[in-house]
Amino acid sequence: MWEIISSSLPQLLAAGFKYTIPLALISFFFGLIIALLTALIRLAHQDGAFMILKWIAQFYVWLFRSTPLLVQLFIVFFGLPYLRIKGILPHGIKLQPFTAGIITFSLNTGAYASETIRAAISSVPNGQWEAGEAIGMTRLQILWRIIIPQALQVALPPLSNSFISLVKDTSLAASITILEMFEVSQQIAAENYQPLLMYTLVAIIYAVFTTVLSTLQHYLEKKLGSRVTIS
Amino acid sequence: MKLTKINKSYGDKRVLKDVSLDFPAGKITVMVGPSGSGKSTILRSLNLLVTPESGKFDFNNHHIDFSNGVSNKEKLAVRRETGMVFQDYNLFPHKTVLGNVIEGPTQVLKMTSKEAQQRAKELLTKVGMGDYSDAYPNELSGGQAQRVAIARALAMKPQYVLLDEPTSALDPELELSVLKVLLQLAKEKQSMVIVTHNMAFAKQVANKIIFVEDGEIIYDGVPEEFFSSNNPNERIKNFIASMTMENLK
Repeated sequence: MWEIISSSLPQLLAAGFKYTIPLALISFFFGLIIALLTALIRLAHQDGAFMILKWIAQFYVWLFRSTPLLVQLFIVFFGLPYLRIKGILPHGIKLQPFTAGIITFSLNTGAYASETIRAAISSVPNGQWEAGEAIGMTRLQILWRIIIPQALQVALPPLSNSFISLVKDTSLAASITILEMFEVSQQIAAENYQPLLMYTLVAIIYAVFTTVLSTLQHYLEKKLGSRVTIS
Repeated sequence: MKLTKINKSYGDKRVLKDVSLDFPAGKITVMVGPSGSGKSTILRSLNLLVTPESGKFDFNNHHIDFSNGVSNKEKLAVRRETGMVFQDYNLFPHKTVLGNVIEGPTQVLKMTSKEAQQRAKELLTKVGMGDYSDAYPNELSGGQAQRVAIARALAMKPQYVLLDEPTSALDPELELSVLKVLLQLAKEKQSMVIVTHNMAFAKQVANKIIFVEDGEIIYDGVPEEFFSSNNPNERIKNFIASMTMENLK
């Protein structure tokens, strides 16, 4: 048994560091940017033409939260090549598996995280905005220097949750031919007929990855402190 | 600083009705009145945290006609020349005491950090908080937090300091520490507009006193007359009596 483990572990870890972790990190990075923009659009007071942007943001969040991630991956990777529009897109949209994965995971994470960020920003008392305005700061300065740092403390635990979910969800990328950890474990299991051992091993590696991340979250929470009290 | 015939409504409710007032420079103007009378709304119109629907506002070289709306640029300009102290302090909880005081000078007035820190330390010493530069707001008592908030407002070198019930959230003994700081500022001829429920304090510091009720100015004059038992206005007499608890018996 140890022989099988020691021979397959390097392959699994290589897949983890080459695909699983980059997929999770890159998607989370873009996901956060999308989430912040979406949250800000939905929180903005503007109306008029801006309402269209708000509807788009709302529709996007609804769409990605109400459909399964696996189905989203299939549509982006297997479906979009058939989106043929005469003159504009004669050959559909063909994406590399990794690119399709990044796009789908980013959009999916962005939809969930936008709700977290929206709630966190709303939880900062209005008096903080007023205090910033009273000393002559612009809305953008207040947002960036006063509101977001406080919202971050509130948002950190749920965002860490999203990130941990994302790390595990990257295993779905196996279905769109990305050679990430789970896909590699399936291939090895098919060769050595040891599915129980292989899948347990890959489960343990996921657990190690996410445990490291949780520890990092606790460290960050401590570092950010809990000076902000939300009433 | 002057307001002329300003009107403000929230939904159907008219909270300010043709309010005209002037706030003399170098003087302390105190606004009193029952809760919900509109005095805080008047105060917030002075730094444009509230924008009335109509009326005029004159302050230095700013001449604003509210019926034409107010540009963001104008709002920022007025706020750079005023400071505000809130009832519940509104200190920035993620910044130290020093960080709170230098935020405006460095970000808005574009002072260098060194210059801003030096000035902040002087101001903190002045309000008796010199030893607390590195403390965070959640480590302070209400009275200490409010004095930091006063230092933060003063750091902008404002022509007018606007104070919205600065001691209402404080225990009486802590209230005193804040009032002493305000008395000191009064001696230095700092222009201030104060909304307060503390009649003893109003009587002591006000150069001018305004009584607001239901969005209207009921009285605009001097404290000697306002607090005198000869004041012919029954509503004012009753109000003062209720605030000083003379009518408990």
